Amino acid sequence: MSTAAPDLRDRQDGAAPLERRAVPPGRRLRRGLAPWLLLAPALIVLGVLLLWPMVRVLNLSLQDYELKNLLRGDSNYVGLDNYVQVLTDPFLWQIVLPNTVGFAIVCVVLTMAVGTVVALFLNTLGTAWRSICTTAIMVAWAVPALTGTYIFVWLFDPQSGLVISALDGLGLMEAGSVNWFTNRWSFYAIATLNVVYHGFPFIAVTMLAGLTTVPDELYEAAALDGAGAWTRFWQVTVPTLRPIIAVCVILSTIWDFKVFVQIFLMPGGDGSTREVMNLGVWSYTQSFAQGEYGMGSTIAVLLTALLMVISVVYIRTLMKEEEL
Amino acid sequence: MIARRHVLAAGAAGSAALALAACGGDSGGSGGEVDGEGKTLTFWLMEGTNASADAYIEELKTAFTEATGATLDVQVQPWDGAHDKFVTAMAGGTGPDVAEVGTTWVPEFADAGGIDDLSEDIEAAGLADGLVEGLVEAGSLDGGTYGMPWYAGVRSILANREMLEAAGVAEQPQSWDDLLTMITTLKEHDPDWIPFPVAGGSIFSAMPFVWGAGGEIATQEGETWTAAINSPEAVEGLTWYTDLALKHDASTSAATTWLETDSLAAFLQETVPMFITGSWVPATIEAENPELAEKLVAFTIPAKDSAVAPSFLGGSLMCRFTETAEPELAFELIKLVTTGDFATRWAEETNYFPGTTAALDEVVAGGDEITKVFATQMTEGGKSVPVTPAWGKIEGAKTLGTMISSVLDGTAVQDAADTAAEEMDGFFSE
Amino acid sequence: MNRRTPATTAARAIGVVVLLALTLFPFYWMLSTAVDTSPLSRGASLLPSGLTLEHFEHVLVDAGFLRYVRVSLVVALGTVVLSGAVALLAAVAVARFRFRLRTQVLVMVLMVQMVPLEALVIPLFLQARTLGMLNSLLGLTIVYLGFSLAFAIWNLRGFVAAVPRELEEAAYVDGASWWRMFRSILLPLVAPGLVATSVFSFITAWNEFIFALTFMQDGSKYTVGVGLRTFFTQNTADWGSVMAASTIIALPVVLFFVLVQRNLAKGITAGAVKG
Repeated sequence: MSTAAPDLRDRQDGAAPLERRAVPPGRRLRRGLAPWLLLAPALIVLGVLLLWPMVRVLNLSLQDYELKNLLRGDSNYVGLDNYVQVLTDPFLWQIVLPNTVGFAIVCVVLTMAVGTVVALFLNTLGTAWRSICTTAIMVAWAVPALTGTYIFVWLFDPQSGLVISALDGLGLMEAGSVNWFTNRWSFYAIATLNVVYHGFPFIAVTMLAGLTTVPDELYEAAALDGAGAWTRFWQVTVPTLRPIIAVCVILSTIWDFKVFVQIFLMPGGDGSTREVMNLGVWSYTQSFAQGEYGMGSTIAVLLTALLMVISVVYIRTLMKEEEL
Repeated sequence: MIARRHVLAAGAAGSAALALAACGGDSGGSGGEVDGEGKTLTFWLMEGTNASADAYIEELKTAFTEATGATLDVQVQPWDGAHDKFVTAMAGGTGPDVAEVGTTWVPEFADAGGIDDLSEDIEAAGLADGLVEGLVEAGSLDGGTYGMPWYAGVRSILANREMLEAAGVAEQPQSWDDLLTMITTLKEHDPDWIPFPVAGGSIFSAMPFVWGAGGEIATQEGETWTAAINSPEAVEGLTWYTDLALKHDASTSAATTWLETDSLAAFLQETVPMFITGSWVPATIEAENPELAEKLVAFTIPAKDSAVAPSFLGGSLMCRFTETAEPELAFELIKLVTTGDFATRWAEETNYFPGTTAALDEVVAGGDEITKVFATQMTEGGKSVPVTPAWGKIEGAKTLGTMISSVLDGTAVQDAADTAAEEMDGFFSE
Repeated sequence: MNRRTPATTAARAIGVVVLLALTLFPFYWMLSTAVDTSPLSRGASLLPSGLTLEHFEHVLVDAGFLRYVRVSLVVALGTVVLSGAVALLAAVAVARFRFRLRTQVLVMVLMVQMVPLEALVIPLFLQARTLGMLNSLLGLTIVYLGFSLAFAIWNLRGFVAAVPRELEEAAYVDGASWWRMFRSILLPLVAPGLVATSVFSFITAWNEFIFALTFMQDGSKYTVGVGLRTFFTQNTADWGSVMAASTIIALPVVLFFVLVQRNLAKGITAGAVKG
C-alpha cells in the first residue's frame, strides 16, 4: 500500500491537459450526458431510500401520529407541538442529550488517540510484524457490533463474567454484589470500551496508510533542526496528514453519534433503564414500543439535525483542505 | 380498512348461519369455516408457558387441519420484547391471523384497532356464559370483548422444601413479619444462599406488596384514571419489598436487572430457596429438573397482616388480528384452542387455570397441594391492573419496572414512585 | 526511525505483545467460551474448563440458527451485487468526469452517510408496509442497498481515479467506444476495489440490526442478528450457546476482512487521500 498512494497524488497534473484536448462534438455532448446517466441509478436509490424518507420523517414529526392513526390511515397535524414537548422535557436535557453528545465526544477522542498511537507504533515495526499486528486489529474491526456487544456484556456479567470473577479472585469484590449495567456511568464505560475497541482499527489502518506517504526527508529536516519526537509529530506528521485526520474525525463522529445497537443490546439498554437512553434508542422505543410514530420522528429529526450541524462544520473544514 | 370492516360484518353473520347449517354461502366469498382447504393460518403462541409445547403444537396443527382443511403455522414468540413486536406487527400489517395476547395488552391493542371485537362471534358460538370473569373483564373495552379467555395464572411463592426444612422454616407465612423471619433465618443458615431474590425486572413480584399494604397502582373515577403508586400505602409496600434486598440481604445486586426467568434459573441451581413465581412454573421445573420438582412447596404471598395478598391475575386471551384475511377460519382456531380437550390439556400441561369456569373447577378439584395454593391466591387475591388502553403504554414504557430498578439502585422510594406516578398520569391524560 | 538498540527492540516486542493481546482478547474470549464445557463456572481462568462442541450443536440444531444464516446470506449477497453495480457506475461518473454539480453530488454522497438509521426506520417501515415489502427478503435487500451505496461510491471512486487516464485515451485512440473501454480497461483494473467494496457492503448487510428487527416479524425470516437477540433473551444465562452463536456470526466476517485487508486499506487510503 505504500507504493499505491504516492502515484495517486499526481492525478490533477496528468488529467487536466488531456481533458482539454480536441474531442469530437458528438462525443462532447455524450460526455456531457454520460456522467448523469452513470449517476442515475445511484441518485435514484439514494433519493428514494434516504432523501424521500427524510422528507417523510419531517412530515411525521409535525403530527400526533399513533398506531391508531396508522391503522386508520389518517393524519393528525399538530404543528410544532411534538417539538415543544420534546424540547421542554427535562429528560432530554438531563439524560438523553448528555448521554448522546458526551458519549460521542469521549468515544471520538479516545478512538482517535488509540488509533493514532497504534498507527505510529505500527509504523516503527518491520514489514512482517506490521502485517501480523494489522491482521490482529483487523479482527477487532471485523467483529460485528452486535456480537462485540454481547462479548462485552458477557465479560462484565455481574454473576459469572470474567471481570467480576477476576475481582472476586483478588478479593476486591464479590461476584453478584454489583450490577454495572444499572448505573449510568458504568453502563457507558462499558459501552465506550466496546465502541472504542470496535472503532480504533479503522483509524489505525487509515492513519498508518497515511504515515507511509510522509516523506522521510521532512522528518530528517525537522530532526536536524533539533525537534524531538513529540514536536516532529505535531509539526510534521499532523500537518501532512490533515486531510486524512479530518476524514477520520468526520467518520468516527458520525458513527459514534449514531450508536444504537451497542446500547440497545446491553442489559437495560432497550429502554428499560431509562437513564442510559440516548437519542437513537429514545426515538426507536417511542415509535416501535409506544406506537407514537410522530413523537419518535420528532426525536429522529432532532438527532439528524444535530448530525447535520456537526458534519457541515466538518465538511467546511475539509473543503478548505482540499478540493473534493 | 372500510372493505375489511365490511367483510368482518359479513363474517360474523356468516358464522351465525353456519352454526345452524354448517355451510356458508355468502360469508365474504371465503366458502365457509370448515372449508379452509389450501389456506394457511398463522398463530403466534407465547413461549415458555407450556414446557411440552412441541407435542401440543403438533397435535393442534393436525386437529386444525382435520377440522378445517387449512394448514396452521404456529410461531412461538418470546415474552421479552413481545409488546414491541405486537405493536410493530400491527403497524406493519405483518401480524398473524390469531395470537395469544397477554391480558394487560388487550385494551391497548383493541383501542388502536389492531384486534377484533369478538363478542358477536362468541355469542354466536354459544360460549358467552361460563367464562372466567377476571379474564373477560381484562379483555373488555367500551362494551366489546376483544379476546376469548384462554388461560389465567397467578403468582405465589414457590420454595425448595429441603432448603427450607434445613433452616427450619417451612410454614406458610401469615404476615410480612413471618416472611421476613423466614428470609433472615435462611440467610443465617447459609450466607451463600440468595434467600428471596428481588427481581428488578419483574413488576408483578412487587405489586402484591403494594396491594398487600392497601395501596393501588392507579384509581379510577368515572372515566379518568389517576396514578396512586406514590400514595403512602403503596410506598410502604414498595419500601418493605425493596428493603428485603437493600437492608436484609435477601437478594443479590445482579437481580436488579433479573427477569423472572433469571430467578428461576437460580432456583434451578438450588442457590435460591424461595421466590415469587407463577402457577405455570412448577411444570417447567418438572421438565428441567424432576428431582427438584419432588421438593417443591408453595405458599401464598402474605399481605401486611394476613396470609393472602392480592396478586396479579394474569393470563392470555386468544385474539384475532384485524388484518387477517380469514376471520372465520381464525375464529375456528380460537374455539379449538380455548374450549374442549385442547383447553383442558393446556391447563394440565402448564399448571395454568383454564379460561372457562367448568374446566377451572375440574382442574382445582383434581389438583395437588401446589395447585391448591395457587388457586387460593387466585380466588382470594386475584387482581387486575388498570383496565385502560393506557396500561399497555405504561407497560411498554416500563414505568413500574424502571421505578423498581431505580429504587434497587439507590433512589429513594418516594422519589421513584413520584416519577412513576407523573409518567403514568401523562399516559392516562393522553 | 531505523535505530536499533536493544532497548528499543525490547520496547517494540512488548508493544507488539500488548497490542496483540488486547486486540485479540475479546475475540479469544468469545471463541473459548463457545467451546467451554461449563462457561458459567469458568471464572477468570484463561483456558476453558474443557472442550466441547455441544453449544454449537445446540445453536445450530435445536435453535435452528442455520435458517438465520441462510436468510442473512441471501440478503447480504443481494446487497453486494446490487450495490457494486450501481456504485461502480456512479464512481466512474465522479472520478472521470468534470461536470457541473459534481462537487454537490459528492457532498450529498458524504452527507447521506450521516443520516441516522433511526431516523429512516420509521418512514421506510411505513413505506415498506404500503408496498407489502415487510417480512420480505427483497425489501430488506433494497433497504441495505441504500445504506451501503454511499460508502461504496466514496470508496470506489478512489480506485477508479487511480487507473491511469492514458490507458483510457489509448483505448479511444484505438477506436473503442466508451462502453467498450469501460468493460475492457476500467473494469479489470478496479476489480480489487470492487472486492473491497463488496466486503463492505456484505458486512453492512450482514451486521445490520435495527431494520432487520423492525421489518422481519416472521420467525422464519430472521437475520442472524435478530436470531441472536431472540436466542439471547430466551437463554440469558446460557453464555456458552450465546457465544457459539456469536462465533457463527462473527467468523465469516472476520475471515473476509482478513483476506481482503490489503485491498481494503488501499481503498480507504485512495478514498481518503484523493479527498
